[in-house]
Amino acid sequence: MKIIRTENLSKIYNSKSLPVQALKDVNLEIEKGEFTAIIGPSGSGKTTLLNMIGGLDKPTEGKIHIGDTEITGLKDSQLIDFRLYNIGFVFQSYNLIPVLTAKENVSFIMLLQKASKKEMEERATELLKQVGMEDKIDVRPSKLSGGQQQRVAVARALATRPQFILADEPTANLDTKSAFNLLDIMANLNREEKITLLFSTHDQRVIERARRVITLVDGQIDKDEHFDR
Amino acid sequence: MKIIFIISWRNIWRNPGRSLTIIASVAVGLWAGIFVTSLSNGMISQGFETRIQNQVSHIQIHHPEFLRDRNTKFDIPNAAEVFDMLDNKNEVTSYTGRTLVDGMIQTASMTKGTTIYGIDPLREASTTNFDTTIEEGDYFESIDRNPIVVGRKLADKMKLEPRSRLVLTFQDVSGNITAASFRVTGIYKSLNTMMEEQNVYVLQSDLSRLLGKDSVINEIAIITSGLEESTFLAGELKEKLPKLTVREWMEIAPDLMYIHETGSIMLLVIVGVILFALAFGLVNTMLMSVFERTREFGMLMSVGMNKLKVFTMILLETSYLALIGAFIAIWIGLGTIAAFSRTGIDLSAVGGDSMSDFGYDALVYPALDDEFFYQLIFLVIIAAILSAIYPAYKALKLKPAEAVRKE
Repeated sequence: MKIIRTENLSKIYNSKSLPVQALKDVNLEIEKGEFTAIIGPSGSGKTTLLNMIGGLDKPTEGKIHIGDTEITGLKDSQLIDFRLYNIGFVFQSYNLIPVLTAKENVSFIMLLQKASKKEMEERATELLKQVGMEDKIDVRPSKLSGGQQQRVAVARALATRPQFILADEPTANLDTKSAFNLLDIMANLNREEKITLLFSTHDQRVIERARRVITLVDGQIDKDEHFDR
Repeated sequence: MKIIFIISWRNIWRNPGRSLTIIASVAVGLWAGIFVTSLSNGMISQGFETRIQNQVSHIQIHHPEFLRDRNTKFDIPNAAEVFDMLDNKNEVTSYTGRTLVDGMIQTASMTKGTTIYGIDPLREASTTNFDTTIEEGDYFESIDRNPIVVGRKLADKMKLEPRSRLVLTFQDVSGNITAASFRVTGIYKSLNTMMEEQNVYVLQSDLSRLLGKDSVINEIAIITSGLEESTFLAGELKEKLPKLTVREWMEIAPDLMYIHETGSIMLLVIVGVILFALAFGLVNTMLMSVFERTREFGMLMSVGMNKLKVFTMILLETSYLALIGAFIAIWIGLGTIAAFSRTGIDLSAVGGDSMSDFGYDALVYPALDDEFFYQLIFLVIIAAILSAIYPAYKALKLKPAEAVRKE
């Protein structure tokens, strides 16, 4: 089952003054349960592609289908709701809310979905346990290490039961131990719960775990490799 | 929505120093506004009460012709009946009948125009507290024959002192010129210096005798238990005394009505101006806060927080800062008002003496009613909403994809 499908996706920045072609005719299909890493040199269009797929930016040309929805046709307000219910985000800088505890950071996003208090409590606790943070549920981000914060961010991304998780350089700010730890957790989620993962990364540690590696060069797909891991 | 309230509350304490600084500036600014307003309000209220009590009264009754031609012959013919009527009205606190004559006052060295009030000392005292204004001499006690009370300013001008002799000249009810010698029994001090110079007071019985008529009442002044009672009684008297002119305080002195109506609005304008200035501080604080949290706003909008919730969060943070400051200001302001409402504040050192020229006392008792504080809180909320708009606009203009990556 295809979760993500792009059709002739192109993006040109500063189209009037000095046009920069960030993406050019990208056609991509991602199946449910895939663990895909998008790699490529700086400026190759990884982040742009992730922004388009995540509904954070709009293409100059082409279409993006997430499940049955063609998101390029959605209005901004519809896109906000779409992201809330369909996409989980993990950012390079974790971006947790500093004034909330780990559990509140996870349950907060479910509140936006108007989940019941009981459901929020149970799911936030369960997810934090799943990422190995059960003993830190009432701790605020400032008291957590980078690796721990990123694990809370993963729990937050899973909280809304999204169709897939977009992670932009999730290990870039982590030490080796924390990075492996996080990758173990995410690989397990992918294998056992069929969570679809789409990473943009430079990190070799991530590339070695991904079962599909797409290489972008100058805004175009240069290689699309599948691995049996 | 509860979580938005919690996040906003916690957010304002992320930078306690900055938040406390803006809270302190709101508190000090508004406290100053409350204090100045309470002083102005106290002054206005005192001036209003003083003029009602000492000059205007709540209601005055005259012969209709007397208001056009201040001739003593236009007296109230059925004054005794009116007095009986007033004795039976619950709304009436006190009343007095006066004889009014325009004439000349003469001493050995000077002659001057004057208004002679023939009064019943006891009734006048209970109606206008005139007896308490005697600064030198006494209130119709030490002189038996033709005593007169004059104002301080007139006394200084004509070099009068207790027991000084003077002559009053005026027309009697038949139109004949009559004159009589009076002796000063007391000198009064008024908040209204024009009145001090113009008005002199003699016994009604002496003046009636000189006018050639048993009892001449040109003016009945009535003090009621309140402004609402005054309006009610004035309406009733107008109905029952169709041949007389019954006027309420706002008809007698329209400027008092203006002060009464616009006073509280002017005070709110003062506070509004202060709040306007403080709003710039709030905008600045919130802008700094938004810029510092660019990545956070980017994340919130990326994961699906809608614009209304982002705006609500910034609005709540601004409101918390403004309202905490406002409540501190109200708390300290109430304490300050309570402290000075007993002792008053003497403004004579800062030119307060000249206030008496306009009918105001230099000793001001600050006062504010509850309604002012409700209006103040309403204004603070409006200021907070307005202050939140620009920072919220800046936050909502952020592009989530760029904001989450901002270093």
